[in-house]
Amino acid sequence: MPNLRDIKRRIGSVKNTQQITKAMKLVAASKLRKAQEAILNERPYAVKLMEVLHHLAARCNKDLHPLLNQREEKKVLFIVVTSDKGLCGGFNGNVLKRLMAAVEENAGKEISVVAMGKKGRDICRSRGLKIEREYLNWGKDFEYQRAAEMAKFISEMFVDGKVDKVSLVYNEFKSVIQQEVILEQLLPIVPEDMATDSDGKMHDVDYIYEPDEESILETLLGRYMAVEIYRACLESTASEHGARMTAMDSATRNAGEMIDDLTLFYNRARQAYITKELIEVVNGAEALKG
Amino acid sequence: MAENKIQLSIVTPAKNVVNEEVDQVNVPGEDGDLGVLADHAPLITTLRSGPLSYEKGDDVVQMVVSGGYMEVTDNRVTVLAETAEFLDEIDRTRAEAAKADAEAKLAKADLSEDEFEATQLKLFRAIARLETPSKN
Repeated sequence: MPNLRDIKRRIGSVKNTQQITKAMKLVAASKLRKAQEAILNERPYAVKLMEVLHHLAARCNKDLHPLLNQREEKKVLFIVVTSDKGLCGGFNGNVLKRLMAAVEENAGKEISVVAMGKKGRDICRSRGLKIEREYLNWGKDFEYQRAAEMAKFISEMFVDGKVDKVSLVYNEFKSVIQQEVILEQLLPIVPEDMATDSDGKMHDVDYIYEPDEESILETLLGRYMAVEIYRACLESTASEHGARMTAMDSATRNAGEMIDDLTLFYNRARQAYITKELIEVVNGAEALKG
Repeated sequence: MAENKIQLSIVTPAKNVVNEEVDQVNVPGEDGDLGVLADHAPLITTLRSGPLSYEKGDDVVQMVVSGGYMEVTDNRVTVLAETAEFLDEIDRTRAEAAKADAEAKLAKADLSEDEFEATQLKLFRAIARLETPSKN
């Protein structure tokens, strides 16, 4: 016979958990709204910037800037964007799975990572990947300024020949309930991309450059890196809140189901207990009569 | 697209500020201000912090942008700026404070080159904001 008090306690604890998951869901939902706005506002800028850059880079001499340099890929750097906190479903797992697949593809090369977020760092560390730099607790109020700093650091590494290829791994925000893991090459800037630009006819146009190609390219490339990193971070933040909201929603629902089951179980046990007691009383009375 | 019109879009990391058909755009180019009319030759230029305006019929809309690029192709003008504000959005007190702050910083001699450049840009931004006529 199950102990009634134990079941009651169990129900209480599941109820507490449910309250927590419900609260987390609400918090995630309100954060999501903000993050979603940020990414949706930033995207057009990033897209336009890419367009300008591609127009420019397609026409420029590849030797004009060290960031356009294609080298043999011996040293590969991954920027892994994850969250600091868990409880958000497969959000981090998916990124890390993609990363590990990419690491396997690049077996034999020297691989290092820049880890953003505690979860990513922990996994990279346990897998023995070389961590170039780590950024923890970045999710809150991530500013463009910090992305710019990172961009500078990474381009310097690239120019100094410490890495030959840089890729970003992050969750792209598709919708509130959908994220997609993206692996995107950041450096060197991919030439195919430039060639297969949206409208091929533009490629013949000669631009007037002011002040001149090199200085525009110089500033544009610096900004491109920062904007891409910034965008990846915003995408990831929005995705994280979305993933957490979905995860917490189903956790709340599961807790509800569990409470229902337990309550049913509790009532059955209680009834059985009463029946047993009744039988005992009746038996006792019978015995006294005898 | 109507004849002799330019499709102007001004975007910043924070939002899509303007998306309109206009007659003329005047921007603060790195090497000097320039005006763009319809059928302008393709052009890419960097921008400094300063006043930007566009004309639509008889209306002239003034703004302040800070840093960025402008691309002109095929009667489309794309301005990518770090910030872009309409005149009534400018926070003058904040700009004053930023200016004073930047000036104080520049007065000190011990700045690294990067710091110096960043502070100088900050000063230019503040000045650009303050120089615009206040909206009556």
